[in-house]
Amino acid sequence: MSQLTVDSTATWEAELEGRIPPHLSEEIEIFETQIAQKRQGRIDDKVFAETRLRRGVYGQRYDNGQRHDGTASRALEYPCGDLTKGPNTVWDAPGMLRIKIPFGAMNGEQMEVLADLAEEYSDGIAHVTTRQDIQLHFIHIDDTPDIMRRLAAVGITTQEACGNSVRNVTACPLAGVCRDEPFDVSPYAHAMTHFLLGHRDAQDFGRKFKIAFSGCEQHACGLANMHDLGVLAQVRTTGNGTKSTERGFKVFVGGGLGPVPHQAKVLREFVREDELLPLAQAVCRVFGRLGEKRNRARARIKFLVAKLGIEEFTRLVDEELAILPVDERWTAYLDHLDVADEHPTRPGAALEPGPRPEGFAEWLGTNVQRQRQSGYVTAAVNLPLGDLTSTQLRALADTARRFNGGLVRNTVEQNIVLRNVGEADLPALYAELRAAGLGAPGASSLVDVTSCPGTDTCKLGISSSRGLAGELRKRIADSIRTAGVLADEAVKDLRIKVSGCFNSCGQHHVADIGFYGVSRKSDGRTMPHFQVILGGQWTENAGSYGLAVVAVPSKRIPEVVERIAGLFVAEREKGESFQSFIARVGKARIRQLLDDLTKLPTYLEDRTLYSDWGDPREYTLGDLGVGECAGEVVTAVEFGLSAAEREVFQGLLELDRGDAGTAASRAYAAMVQAARALITTENIDIGNEPDEIVGEFRTRFYDTELFFDPYAGAKFANYLFRIHGDAETDSGEEAHRRIEEAQLFIEAAHACNQRISEIQAAGSLRRAV
Amino acid sequence: MNATSTTRFDDLVKLDLKVLASRESAAAPEEFIPVFHRWITERVLPELLIDVADYSHVHEGPGVLLVGHDAIYAYDESRGEPGLLYSRRRETAPETAGIRTLDERLESLLLCAFRACDQIEAEPQLDGRVAFDRHRIELRVNDRLVPRDDEAALALGNALRRALAEAGVADDREPVGVKRIGEARDRLTLRTG
Repeated sequence: MSQLTVDSTATWEAELEGRIPPHLSEEIEIFETQIAQKRQGRIDDKVFAETRLRRGVYGQRYDNGQRHDGTASRALEYPCGDLTKGPNTVWDAPGMLRIKIPFGAMNGEQMEVLADLAEEYSDGIAHVTTRQDIQLHFIHIDDTPDIMRRLAAVGITTQEACGNSVRNVTACPLAGVCRDEPFDVSPYAHAMTHFLLGHRDAQDFGRKFKIAFSGCEQHACGLANMHDLGVLAQVRTTGNGTKSTERGFKVFVGGGLGPVPHQAKVLREFVREDELLPLAQAVCRVFGRLGEKRNRARARIKFLVAKLGIEEFTRLVDEELAILPVDERWTAYLDHLDVADEHPTRPGAALEPGPRPEGFAEWLGTNVQRQRQSGYVTAAVNLPLGDLTSTQLRALADTARRFNGGLVRNTVEQNIVLRNVGEADLPALYAELRAAGLGAPGASSLVDVTSCPGTDTCKLGISSSRGLAGELRKRIADSIRTAGVLADEAVKDLRIKVSGCFNSCGQHHVADIGFYGVSRKSDGRTMPHFQVILGGQWTENAGSYGLAVVAVPSKRIPEVVERIAGLFVAEREKGESFQSFIARVGKARIRQLLDDLTKLPTYLEDRTLYSDWGDPREYTLGDLGVGECAGEVVTAVEFGLSAAEREVFQGLLELDRGDAGTAASRAYAAMVQAARALITTENIDIGNEPDEIVGEFRTRFYDTELFFDPYAGAKFANYLFRIHGDAETDSGEEAHRRIEEAQLFIEAAHACNQRISEIQAAGSLRRAV
Repeated sequence: MNATSTTRFDDLVKLDLKVLASRESAAAPEEFIPVFHRWITERVLPELLIDVADYSHVHEGPGVLLVGHDAIYAYDESRGEPGLLYSRRRETAPETAGIRTLDERLESLLLCAFRACDQIEAEPQLDGRVAFDRHRIELRVNDRLVPRDDEAALALGNALRRALAEAGVADDREPVGVKRIGEARDRLTLRTG
């Protein structure tokens, strides 16, 4: 009888040894330790939640252990019992993993690994998000370290993909090949990504921080206007009567969608390329220092900019810039601006007449754009709802390798773009994409509806955005096929975007026709609705935001689209844009047009309206949970103390293994880390040298008695002073004592931090009075 | 992948088993959405069922999924061949508690998959329009740490034959043909029939 002959101890850690960059390997080991700590109840729920969120490990609907079946909420009895991975979040509940793809750029090897991961740990689907990330759903937290290792081995990290951190840095997917850009912003987005990833000045935010790069002003491009920090490529002449130019950027700050959208303000009309990273760092410092921490609804930087005014905000940024310690990384990357270069691998010959595959002409008309490089084009893969299977992702990797060297970019419209495709190769490319089910026409057009996850998986979802988007795609495609009103040339390029709630992850504010999920009571029951948003502008980097016109039952939204499109086709003036048309006819007219759709039938008259798209359960808000988009507000000092706890935990494991020397060293290191964490509340620039840390700790917390315990006085501080400079020991007994002391020292640091917070709160209160 | 020892791989939990639909079956994947929701509500299967996911919009995709804690069930359309996919991820349900060997696990997989097939075939909402061919089965190792060489394929194939015989799908008089399908980079996948 044959046997399966494998090494049963095989692990991905061993399998990938030497292939993971050391800093990412260490990061993953830290997370694995934190998972072990959480299982043993040695780490606070809130701290663990934020630490997993900062690694992209997100919650998903029903992770509170409850599911509403339409009539009652029922318990989901996960086998983990009381073990949680955050407040009210059950350990065993499936979650989502957000994978950062800086400026959406992926190569063939990365696509193949993502495909493998989707199959082995998720549901076989890779989902492209509206910020160029990839998301996998239904992931168990225990699998995440191995997933992270496999990603890290191909240069991908999930670090800071969620939580109150700098999220994925996005950029125009045509950067480098666009006909309008002054230069390629990709290497600058790359530099920004790596500069701010894990940067100490970007660890103490009250909310997330999103950065986008655009190459030009007139197109949607990178959507610079709707980001916390928007960066727009500019070139200026340097004067002196010469024709020389220099690269730089117009920088925006304080833009954002969410429930209350804000247009970004101009922070700098022009910064030179060597000034960009320090400027971003200074903005992060101001946001970290002055941004709201308690009221999460007003904690994005847009509220700080609005509160201070752009002039004062600019002054504060200038102040920070003046005192920033010089960092060689600010300019070092300028010697490597070819880091994101992509070069064609096939000739750029013209498309010759000849036989074409079925559907080629339509696809060519909607999905292909000429590049600035003669003879080359970009080809968009129109993904339904941003989804593609593992098989398709692998096929795409193969196709990309054949036609452009294997490189693609994700787009904020949830598609994928192949660049540097020779025009003559288009029929063959299309044939391959079509064979893989990736040849749908209509990219970036009316049929290409964008949607956030909504009630499918999001804990905050109110209505089924994906269900609606899927239905709209079908109906629009049908209308186009049958030459209906939605086939009219006038509406072809309109954008529809759907969010499941007011938080705008589907970017409904900047769509021509946007929707966000709400609910209404009728006949004693709840009915899913969508607010209709009109007047938004996708082009000019999300040039203006739309406003809600009226809420309509979910099941009637396709009719809303048909009526609005029909009115536009029938009554628009020559050359009139959709935004101008809406402004001219007025929202009152639109409301009147839709008025009958807002009349709600009783349950007996029409039960279908009391359930949502793609979900037969009677509609309820019973599954709404607490969202994790905002992350948990965990300060830098809390993170530092958590790291100290992790260190002492590792020391404990070493002691169990009989290595007293290492155990004692870790106990000492834990105390130093805890001391450093406290110092960061007063001096964010504190270094990592133990002598410096212990010296500052003595001055700031011992001499001032801030660290003193109300009963034990200086006792715990002296634990650190006693072994500083004499940390080495081989004695098991001494190591054991030091671990206990380290734990007490960390507890004292927590108590000290609490006292400081109370003093600061009392000070704020006095100032307010 | 180095095969550095010759341990029997009885710990391999992550296995997929797909029972192909008969060629006469005629149901759209979306029709499984209400069915699977009802299975959750009425606790039709003896394991924790959590959610329904609809990927019917994706070309030859996983169709409509019923996500459980231990396994995912799907009316799957991969390769353009509809069928009931049972993808085991963990074993925490009481009925899988005593599994020790690959043979026991394959028997359990067949039991779970066939039970779901029986349930679907009897669904009033589907009106008898879906039937499964229990002789056409795909077995896949959903773990790339496991070798995908000929030796592993042979061992897995033999185990599958034994499990099918145990399940009454085949016997010595009617041996089951098993062949390997897919590319080298794919997960180790076998097909009967």
